[in-house]
Amino acid sequence: MPTSRRALAAAAAIAVLLPLSACGSGGDDSASTDASGKIEGNITFQTWNLRANFKPYFDGLVKDFEKKYPGTHVKWIDQPGEGYADKISADAAGGTLPDVVNVSPDLVAPLAKAGLALDLDKAAPKYGKEYLPGAWASHQIPGMDGTYAFPWYLNTGPLFYNKTLFRKAGLDDSKPPKTYDALFTDALQLAKKSKGKVATLANVPTIEDFGRYGAPLMNKQGTGFAFNDAKGVELLTKYKELYDAKALDPQALTATPESTGKKFLTGAVAMNPGSALDLQKFKKDAPSLYKNIGITDQITSTGKVNMYVMGVMVNSRTKQKPAAVAFAHYVTDAQHQMEFAKKVAIFPSTAGSLDDPYFTQQDGSDETRVRIAAADSLKNAVNYTPVLFSEQMKNELRNSVAKALQGKESPKTALDNAVKACDRLLQQQG
Amino acid sequence: MTSPLPSVKTPATSPATPSAKPPGARPVSRVRRQLPTSPWLFAAPGLLVVGIFILYPFVSTLVNAFTDRRTLIPGTFVGLDNFRELLHDDMFWTGLRNSVLYMVGVVPALVLLPLLLALLVQKNIPGITFFRSAFYTPVVASIVVVGLIWVWLLDERGLVNAVLEAVGIGRVGFLSDQWLLLLSAMAVTVWKGLGYYMIIYLAALANVPRELHEAAAVDGAGAVRRFFTVTVPAVRSTMVLVAALSSVAAFKVFSEVYLMAGPNGGPAGEDTTLVMLVQRTGTGLTGRVGYASAISVVVFVITVALMLLVLRADRKEDA
Repeated sequence: MPTSRRALAAAAAIAVLLPLSACGSGGDDSASTDASGKIEGNITFQTWNLRANFKPYFDGLVKDFEKKYPGTHVKWIDQPGEGYADKISADAAGGTLPDVVNVSPDLVAPLAKAGLALDLDKAAPKYGKEYLPGAWASHQIPGMDGTYAFPWYLNTGPLFYNKTLFRKAGLDDSKPPKTYDALFTDALQLAKKSKGKVATLANVPTIEDFGRYGAPLMNKQGTGFAFNDAKGVELLTKYKELYDAKALDPQALTATPESTGKKFLTGAVAMNPGSALDLQKFKKDAPSLYKNIGITDQITSTGKVNMYVMGVMVNSRTKQKPAAVAFAHYVTDAQHQMEFAKKVAIFPSTAGSLDDPYFTQQDGSDETRVRIAAADSLKNAVNYTPVLFSEQMKNELRNSVAKALQGKESPKTALDNAVKACDRLLQQQG
Repeated sequence: MTSPLPSVKTPATSPATPSAKPPGARPVSRVRRQLPTSPWLFAAPGLLVVGIFILYPFVSTLVNAFTDRRTLIPGTFVGLDNFRELLHDDMFWTGLRNSVLYMVGVVPALVLLPLLLALLVQKNIPGITFFRSAFYTPVVASIVVVGLIWVWLLDERGLVNAVLEAVGIGRVGFLSDQWLLLLSAMAVTVWKGLGYYMIIYLAALANVPRELHEAAAVDGAGAVRRFFTVTVPAVRSTMVLVAALSSVAAFKVFSEVYLMAGPNGGPAGEDTTLVMLVQRTGTGLTGRVGYASAISVVVFVITVALMLLVLRADRKEDA
């Protein structure tokens, strides 16, 4: 049959109009929170860069769940660490978000606002008391009622330092800095003695650093940022002094966590935050550094260390809500978190788990010493990064901090500008 | 004047065939209105791919540029608001400045250096294939690998700085100074693109008649003179093509700067290019798709303008 020009014109019109149909279509906010019913059906579970090292654990976990709940089938998929947020956003926008998703609090916030995260306070309120109160609260969003993910594993870590570099600078390697003042003094001495060749720190201050230093991050209503107060300005002024003296690595302005880790491994930087996991890396990749590694507590002015929280979210639009909620809880319950914690240096978020002898009894090894110290500090740790602090806001803060360190803006002006930009982005988020 | 073509006899239409038209019918116009199906069927797979992966995203971007769409929140029509915001966005102007600077820095080098390189490897002497391959190797290397290698080389404690320190110059902040970072990224783009454009020039040089060079040599022209009076005019249209291709590629630079300056675009984002800004603004769960689309539209318009400018300059030269 001949193709008429009308058909071609129609095809062109569809190409133009189809994208328009996306405008104002609105999300389906009618997703029910009812998770009662028989636990059965096929669900998909997505993790964040865990297959390479923990495949047997997750295979076993899935198998046990399917055995416990006949009629269920869990398809486990794992995404690489790089670009994980982009992968989730593509899935969320395309309506292909898995039923159960491994998330961090900052990923949950936009998903909850878009109505894609199931409110567990409504769907599964009975489970809340099984977790540490702080961990359960970490997936609550300011301005919204509800909790939007099960807390999974927690992590925190000490500050590692290079004893050799400390000794060369005339510092006592058995007395690492415990306060910010001591840290800044030691850092300046290290830079001076090494003629600017050895920096003590390799990262510019992040929102978490401002929190640990004692600056308020958001106002009490959670409607605006507040890290430009006197404490915040004081911290940035100190960092400026370090940067000028090369006590803060000159490449800190463009550094990534990977690049700073490498600098510590090669002895270009004297101190670096890490976790028990890093000890294995030092042992394997830098044996000479490992022999001279010093371990000290995170420095904080608030008395509360920072913790990282991982969560497991249930897609509010899953067709198998009972099975998805049951599986998310199964992955994060005390028994399975404890099993997972024994395979890798992470900490369970379930109430009472940190009192297990595994986290309290020394066996003389460095790994255990770090683990016990971290578990102890986690009992009153805080996730300083606000859940509403998006990637775009992190960029704004980082750019403003860089301008202050380069002397293009005063610390006060830089932080005022950062707060203004973050507030604007917060309002745009809705 | 007689037509050189032989006359073609068309068969007369039989009045008994069904195609016989009643008086007053306009068969010619009907045929014109209907397109034959077969060519479209052949082209369909290609058209489908173009439609899905080029036309639809393009139109979608155009539409989104006039909305406040976010990654997870469908937008509403906001007219020219995004474009108005661009005018007051410092980062947009930083991105535009860097993209233009990148083009200005990279294009002359990519027009001239590959030509010189092509002249060098054009001669058929023993072992020349090795050099041709060597110069082409960076083209086929992954940009990520290339970027990482250059980051290692230019690092504060990298090989280049070690050499500079050894000869008494001292360390240079290739990866910490905003301008040096941009220059370093340009150097990588030029280094990686040399081989590709060299091949294009080699093809063009093969078409330059040897007699022209011989005649010029007989007239007493030296190598430099022959280059400017014979080679350059002969490959001028290729130079225009290289200029057009490299300027569009340079204006849309992303990977080199992203890898060397980091995802944030260097210190305080001062090395951000427009395409990096699109990526940073429009991706992620809180991405501002509408605003990023508006930046994309600006990039598109500038790119088309660039192409038209180069083509117009070429046409003027021809005239």
